Amino acid sequence: QAYYGGGGEAILDPGYLAGQADSTWGSAALYAWQTHAAPGVAQPQYYAPTTEPEYINQPGYGQQQPATYGQPVDNLANQFGGMGIAGQKGFQLYTTNLLTSPPDPRDLQIPPPEIRLPPNSCISPSPTANSDPSYQRCTLNAIPTASSLLGKAKIPLALILTPYRSLKEGDEPVPVITDTVIARCRRCRTYINPYVQFIDGGNRWRCCMCNMTNEVPQLFDWDQVRNQPGDRWARAELNHSVVEFVAPTEYMVRPPQPAVYIFLIDVSNTAVQSGMVATATRTIKENLDRIPDEDGRTKVAIICFDTSLYFFSLPQGTTEASMLVVSDIDDVFLPKPNDLLVNLAEARESMENLLDKIGNMFQENSIIGSALGPALQAGFKLMSPIGGKIMVLSSSLPSAGAGGLLQAAVPFYKTFAIECSRAQVSVDMFLFSSAYQDVATLACLPHYTSGQTYYYPAFNAGRAEDAIKFAHEFGEVLAMPIMLEAVMRVRASRGLRMSSFHGNFFVRSTDLLAMPAVPLDQSYAIEIQIEETINTPFVVFQTAVLHTTCYGERRIRVVTMALPTTSSLSEVFASADQVAIATFFANKAVERSLTHKLEDARDLVQKSLIDILIAYKTSMTSGGAGASAQLAISENLKMLPVLTLGLLKNVGVRQSTQIPPDLRAYAQALLTSLPSQLLIPYLYPTFYSLHNMPPEAGEIGEHGVILPPPLPLTSERLERHGLYLIEDGQTMFLWVGRDAVPQLVADVFDLPSYDALRGGKTTLRKIREMRRGPYYPHLYIVKEDGEPPLRLWALSALIQDRADVLPSYQQFISTLKEKVSST
Amino acid sequence: MLNFEDVEERDGVRLSWNVWPSSRIEATRTVVPISALYTPLKVREDLPPVLYEPVACKPPCRAILNPYCQIDIRGKLWICPFCLSRNAFPPHYKDISNTNLPAELLPKYTTIEYTLSRPAQVPPIFLFVVDTCLDEEDLKALRDAIVVSLSLIPPYALVGLITYGTMTQVHEIGYPECSKSYVFRGGKEYQPKQIQEMLGLSSQSRAAPRPGQPLPQQAFGAARFLMPVSQCEFQLTSILESLTRDPWPVANDKRALRCTGGALNVAVGLLETAFPNTGARIMLFAGGAATEGPGMVVSNELKEPIRSHHDIERDSAKHYKRAIKFYEGLARRVSNNGHVVDLFAGCLDQVGLQEMKSLPNSTNGVIVLSDSFATSIFKQSFLRLFNKDDQGHLTMGFNATFDVQTTKELKVSGMIGHGISAGKKSPCVGETEIGIGQTSAWKINTISPRTATGVYFEVVTPAGQPLQQGSRGLIQFVTHYQHSSGQMRLRVTTIARNFAEAGSPSIPASFDQEAAAVLMARIAVFKAEIDDSPDVLRWLDRMLIRLCQKFADYRKEDPTSFRLTDNFSIYPQFMFHLRRSQFLQVFNNSPDETAFYRHVVNEEDVNNSLIMIQPTLMSYTFDTPPQPVLLDSVSIKHDVILLLDTFFHILIFHGELVAQWRKQGYQEQEGYENFKELLELPVADAQDLLVDRFPIPRYIVCDQGGSQARFLLSKLNPSTTHMSASMYGSGPGAGTGQAIFTDDVSLQVFMEHLKRLAVGAQTN
Ligand SMILES: [Zn+2]
Ligand SMILES: [Zn+2]
Repeated sequence: QAYYGGGGEAILDPGYLAGQADSTWGSAALYAWQTHAAPGVAQPQYYAPTTEPEYINQPGYGQQQPATYGQPVDNLANQFGGMGIAGQKGFQLYTTNLLTSPPDPRDLQIPPPEIRLPPNSCISPSPTANSDPSYQRCTLNAIPTASSLLGKAKIPLALILTPYRSLKEGDEPVPVITDTVIARCRRCRTYINPYVQFIDGGNRWRCCMCNMTNEVPQLFDWDQVRNQPGDRWARAELNHSVVEFVAPTEYMVRPPQPAVYIFLIDVSNTAVQSGMVATATRTIKENLDRIPDEDGRTKVAIICFDTSLYFFSLPQGTTEASMLVVSDIDDVFLPKPNDLLVNLAEARESMENLLDKIGNMFQENSIIGSALGPALQAGFKLMSPIGGKIMVLSSSLPSAGAGGLLQAAVPFYKTFAIECSRAQVSVDMFLFSSAYQDVATLACLPHYTSGQTYYYPAFNAGRAEDAIKFAHEFGEVLAMPIMLEAVMRVRASRGLRMSSFHGNFFVRSTDLLAMPAVPLDQSYAIEIQIEETINTPFVVFQTAVLHTTCYGERRIRVVTMALPTTSSLSEVFASADQVAIATFFANKAVERSLTHKLEDARDLVQKSLIDILIAYKTSMTSGGAGASAQLAISENLKMLPVLTLGLLKNVGVRQSTQIPPDLRAYAQALLTSLPSQLLIPYLYPTFYSLHNMPPEAGEIGEHGVILPPPLPLTSERLERHGLYLIEDGQTMFLWVGRDAVPQLVADVFDLPSYDALRGGKTTLRKIREMRRGPYYPHLYIVKEDGEPPLRLWALSALIQDRADVLPSYQQFISTLKEKVSST
Repeated sequence: MLNFEDVEERDGVRLSWNVWPSSRIEATRTVVPISALYTPLKVREDLPPVLYEPVACKPPCRAILNPYCQIDIRGKLWICPFCLSRNAFPPHYKDISNTNLPAELLPKYTTIEYTLSRPAQVPPIFLFVVDTCLDEEDLKALRDAIVVSLSLIPPYALVGLITYGTMTQVHEIGYPECSKSYVFRGGKEYQPKQIQEMLGLSSQSRAAPRPGQPLPQQAFGAARFLMPVSQCEFQLTSILESLTRDPWPVANDKRALRCTGGALNVAVGLLETAFPNTGARIMLFAGGAATEGPGMVVSNELKEPIRSHHDIERDSAKHYKRAIKFYEGLARRVSNNGHVVDLFAGCLDQVGLQEMKSLPNSTNGVIVLSDSFATSIFKQSFLRLFNKDDQGHLTMGFNATFDVQTTKELKVSGMIGHGISAGKKSPCVGETEIGIGQTSAWKINTISPRTATGVYFEVVTPAGQPLQQGSRGLIQFVTHYQHSSGQMRLRVTTIARNFAEAGSPSIPASFDQEAAAVLMARIAVFKAEIDDSPDVLRWLDRMLIRLCQKFADYRKEDPTSFRLTDNFSIYPQFMFHLRRSQFLQVFNNSPDETAFYRHVVNEEDVNNSLIMIQPTLMSYTFDTPPQPVLLDSVSIKHDVILLLDTFFHILIFHGELVAQWRKQGYQEQEGYENFKELLELPVADAQDLLVDRFPIPRYIVCDQGGSQARFLLSKLNPSTTHMSASMYGSGPGAGTGQAIFTDDVSLQVFMEHLKRLAVGAQTN
């Protein structure tokens, strides 16, 4: 299983297939890599299907696919083949010399080291009984029995979780237990799971975390639907790692609340002139049908703002809104007790009318300035009795009223975020300014309220690609199902403690994470401490998210993961998950940059990597301390240095004075919220050569589009007659060599020759998006001899090259080696 | 001998004295000050249109050329009688001759009205401030009335709408996309600058217009809120028609939150920013007391009752002083800008007029008290405000200033009426202060033909030297106002009266007891607003006694010898009724009612004021024509119908027998046509009384013995009380009238006391 996860990412858009038939090879290829380029869209490629580990052998869930490309598959399959069958035999360590084996991007598609539990750990034979990495993965797939052992390995122990991961067509939905019989441990409150043990003739069960003996609930073996005895062994919670319980009233502080969406739309002169207002209102209108509202209870409100607030009242029985202007932004209040927040289904017509009109209403608005803080307060007032999602669309630096950022260091956003969290209010930020907008401060709100920040610097709807990108992403966010009024807690076996938390939420009490509205595919990282020696052969981590679905059902999503324990350092190394570690590094780096300097963040990451290398060298190689001719690391960690380099060169962390603070802040928001599937290409972009793909690339194989092989990120691979794609999930560059043959240019761009081609941001009609997640990257055509800034930008994605002060991969490795040797 | 009413017809003025004592000391001894009740816009059908600028004396005098000026035809000069300066006539008066005099020099035009060449820059403005904490029926009635008024307001006039309840909403009338309003928090007192910014009236923080594009004026500025009727009638009507009740929930034990003060503050702020010093009326419609924010009168807790006179006296009215201070502050701003506040109350309970009265009192706005906006008292009074003259112009004038000029022996003590000092410290200003003094000019922000101002004077004679015999004093009233047509007009009335030496019989002979009673009533009411009412009553008594001592005919210490000449004879009676009137007796009235009555008495002319002081009573019976009868309990008889007019109430009272017959339905039967006619006659007369009245009086029909009859009984002289037999023996007409349960003294007892005190006899 690749890091992409079994995640059931849909590969193809049926519509796309239809349009595929008449494509030339060039365009077909474009489709193909576009599909693949979408991080997380692609399917597992490389590991051998024949060695399917049983735990992922779930129909439809893991989308087990045979390799679709090339020879290396077999090699890799052979290499890892033995491990799969080895059962509980333990992890085999293979050492690699980093100096002689350059990074191969295909390695990133190899699944993490297999979890090998002792026999009979699991009461279920089901392959889905253990966690799929796309939901939850650990930096180590074998947990050291003592913290001293962990300390020797120097590998951070952390969980990377995306409990609310998206499902696409073909994915098996998370099983739901509807009978509200929820068996939990009396002592540690763990939910019953495939790793407990039934004793006493099945009347009692022993907790896998704390060993407590618990009664089996009376109705546990009763089929309430058929009203007859049921089959305990068929219960979903005993067979699936990821399940969802329908919660009885004990799990409710109040009845499940409806989904609420409040749009705060900046209508200042800047916002209107950029076309943001028109695009936003049109997008909302076009997506009204997609906003989750299965139960017909969803409520919506629109508040516009410049330096005043504009409320809209939509009384029942009318189709005309009336506008209520509140300019008293120092003391924000709601101008009406009712009709501002309305039922979407009932007010549908007036809402559409209003959305049609907002553009006109503010067409001539000449007011400059933004009362974003007051608008947030207003939205909060309107929403706080229920909770829900506030979507901010803002084109300017907040200047008026509370939260005005003209003065530095305004604590408003942090304090307000905590207030929001308490009231179950989540905030999403869509930011559009062409000037400094203080994304770092604004992103605080989504950060603490489990929202997300989206940034469209210098947005101008006059450029079709800007409008399309925003409309697409905004539409996806609108359509996204969300978990409401959620709290998340991770429990673990005795001896393990969740010690620090990274991601978008607010830590309410020691280990309870408050998440007012959880979006799909948001990732979190949790550091784990080994507090006492572990005596059990395996440990269990269980994440429970108590939430309300956006159609009004109170539920608990439970993700259980069991990992073997080990007292062998080599097993520790052999079980390390480089993707999880890199994800953790990204979170750690951003955290450090917020409390310290950016330089400290880079030092921290680099030092962590060096520590691992030293630890490996000292304990796993014969060389021991001192100089050595090689830089050794285990095979399963061999991409960690280049991923670390990618992180160090990422806009969010990179050493540079040229990066606008807003761009940096946005990158940091991504680094701490993207799931691994999206984060890895963001650190290590995907690079394809399109002019010389294998003939089958771009064709539809048995399991989807056949992709060309990804290239290492170095400009050595660029040929003058070539056409390349470089993409990191946020941006795509189409690199055109200066000697690109006219036929290629014609096929791809419908243009007679290279000379007729213009560089820059563009939309190619032939390129369609089928990616997972809301992101719709901008596409830039980069001509080899085109505008230097654009060229440099594109080339900066080739992180194995040197750029200014930033080292090439070779230089980086040499530095690492020096540091490792000097110990 | 002057006929007072003829003078009033011509110049709109009634004076307490028409011959003036020639020394300061003598003037003091005459007790009632020289004073005038002047109606600046007295309707004069015969005034010529004067379409040129008035000729004025040189500054600082600026008196207007008038028939009392000496003119030198040949020298083309005129001498100002006020400052004695010589002024050249302007060049276009060069053809002046004894036979060719401009109208202002003709003796018959002591009152004249100029239409000035420079018209007003802004048309009249009407800003409705509408309470939405009303029940549906009331709100609908109010909406309808305002919609009707739009058809009465000149099409060029600007109108605006503010609604309020828990919050204040300023409606942007001309907004094309949807209904739009600016909302202000009800509980907060906004500063003028804040209001201006929040309504977007300032141009701060705006993008520069794109090159070649002018800033769309419509997008900001006050024109969005105040538009000509002709342009916005449709929109405003539809906004009004879709007005709904205040949406905020009200608990059972609470009053609705009503931010009357906040709404007024915003209204004032809007007008003062956008249209300072122009003619504008803020019309407030209040369906209850302010319970929120600045100017709050009572809390929204129902368990807290609204303050009474008693609470105010004991200083236990919780919000009273703060509210008074707030509204007085507003009143200053409104009046300084020439704007007006009218108060229309539609509520069975009080709405806080007592607190808000400074607004209409200082701007000459109207007060209309009604039980609800669905009553005809409200509807008719409100619409009557928009009465028009023959030319179809509103009879109201705007943004008026009222200036008084006197010759040097006479100084201005002050004005009592609805206005504020314009702060003109001219040489005409005297030392004594009566009413609003220390100025010879006042702002009266709206005037109607009913507006009557009381102006008080004192005589000054240098070093106590009496004036030369036969000398004459002049008063010139100059009223500058904006006519509803948009013209600026100047009404000038110049009057002259002789001075007479002490003891001259011409002085008492010139006493206008009616005018004097009204002018003294205004002083009394003015004092009552400041002092306790017993002090005011004592003052009135002292003045009456001194007047009688001075002008009655009597032998010392012999009350029976006491006689008053005709033109003094009914003055004591006026004073008797004034003492008992609702203007000075607050018992049985709410503070709001008192504020209302006092407001009206300070507005009306002599005749109407007298009706208020001493109501008229007509008696109707068989075989004799209707006749006025004594306002006395003796006038109540079984077989009569009485028609009482207190100005505020018009009451038809059926004697017991009449009521009995009526109930038996005789009026419907053949052969009883005369009874039917008897029943109808007072009704018809009452209708006549209603015609010109403002506000519309409360109309009551009652029977002897019915509960409504108390309105009549309270006004009658209690010559027969439940006490009369034991204390005073049988009064006149005992047994025929009706005994009134009261501890008040009767007129007869009052007169007895007065006589004794006047002649210096012992009182018992
Ligand atoms: Zn337990
Ligand atoms: Zn003069």
